Amino acid sequence: MLNPVAAPASAPNAALEVHGTTVIALKFKGGVLNVGDRRATAANAVMYDRADKIIPLDDHTLIAIAGAYGRAMEVVRYLRHAFKYYARSQLQPMSLDGKLQEVSRALSANLPNALGGIGLFIPILSVYDPDQDRGRIFFYDVSGARFETPEYGAAGSGSERIRGVFDYITKTKGPFSERPMEEALREAILLLDIAADLDAATGGIDKILPTARYATRDGVFEVPESTIREIVQSIRSGGNA
Amino acid sequence: MLTPYDFQENLQQRAQYIRNRLRAGSPVIGISYDNGVLLLALKRRGRKVYEIYDRLMFSAIGNQADVENLRLAAIDFSHQEGFVRSPDDVTIQRVVGFALSPALKKAFGDPLTTPFVARALFAELHDTPERDLFYTLNYDGEFLPYERFAVIGGTTTAEEQATRYLEANLSGVPTFETSVALALTAWGVAYEAAQQEDIDTVSEEAGRARLREMLGEAQVELGVLERRTLRENRFRLIPQEQLEPFLRRL
Repeated sequence: MLNPVAAPASAPNAALEVHGTTVIALKFKGGVLNVGDRRATAANAVMYDRADKIIPLDDHTLIAIAGAYGRAMEVVRYLRHAFKYYARSQLQPMSLDGKLQEVSRALSANLPNALGGIGLFIPILSVYDPDQDRGRIFFYDVSGARFETPEYGAAGSGSERIRGVFDYITKTKGPFSERPMEEALREAILLLDIAADLDAATGGIDKILPTARYATRDGVFEVPESTIREIVQSIRSGGNA
Repeated sequence: MLTPYDFQENLQQRAQYIRNRLRAGSPVIGISYDNGVLLLALKRRGRKVYEIYDRLMFSAIGNQADVENLRLAAIDFSHQEGFVRSPDDVTIQRVVGFALSPALKKAFGDPLTTPFVARALFAELHDTPERDLFYTLNYDGEFLPYERFAVIGGTTTAEEQATRYLEANLSGVPTFETSVALALTAWGVAYEAAQQEDIDTVSEEAGRARLREMLGEAQVELGVLERRTLRENRFRLIPQEQLEPFLRRL
């Protein structure tokens, strides 16, 4: 069965490569939210603790990446240019399906690298769909196959460990897509905290604040650092009961 | 002495032909304001103001196909540069001066090709209004940089009149509201001046009257590049409803 929470298998020579760790995508009422920790690792060394793994591709699209950081960044750069070039030259934005297909193509072109054990990464694409007036989340496998997930998605080494928590939240508190952004943000940061507790490669929320971006009808926005800091402090002071 | 091919005469005829065709063109006004740069034009059917790159936009008068050619050439060059090097390496001076101007000059001077019938205005956004830049690009490849504001119109007189109006009325760094109001009147002044053969000065009132008249058959198109924005794209066309208050005040 397909699984919206995908952890890339460890590569044979992963020690050579810098990897981004846990990213989470949650829907909320009117849009979609992405939260990611800042850690990038190479084997068990922390290479970088200010990596930004959530990147806007255009005014309706966010990409969250887990896995090989260098290769992923190159693909993201390509996608940003491809989407913008299309919109500017054709005077209309690329269709959602066209964008999703472009990501598939980039992943399948990367497959030989991934099979060779280097350059393997998994993206999650979060979009605001203006035709349906709601957020949508798509995840991919290594070969470029694309799947839509109804409520949430996550990728990276920490994501598999927290998989059950997503289900627990939706079953006890209702679907993410019906809840306001503030609640989704809090849940996502808490989920990231749990992932960091269970996975050594996930940076967590304390030392360096995670990044959060969201897409709505009005565009793609970054959640201000002060808002994230408040939520982290409230979680630490036991305000999550 | 009669020569079978007179180079100078040929160029003069070509320039005359292009100038006649540009005469009816609807002007474009560019102004740099506190939170961005704007390009204002009037459109009948198609678009007039276009995004070229992250901090670059463009508008032109002339033959639709030639304008489209310029637009696509600018977009192609910018995106190749931006992808191969960095978006920071895409500058108005390189796009206009190196990518477009020589091609225009070549088409203009070559007796076997049709010259471009176009005059273009480019605007580039920087971190402060003082550093914003405009470039005009002529059908023969001539280009000129401007700061604070720039105008293209169907005739030289049209551009001079609008420039004189803006110089007299634009002080310091204007707000968005001030610059839209000034750009609208400057547009009317330029268009009015292009309609008259011999004219000393076009008054503001005459300009505004001409604009009001034109608004019956055309719509204002206002494109902006925003300096401080939360959006991913800095370029934005201002929606009609946001323009209504400015038009009511004309």
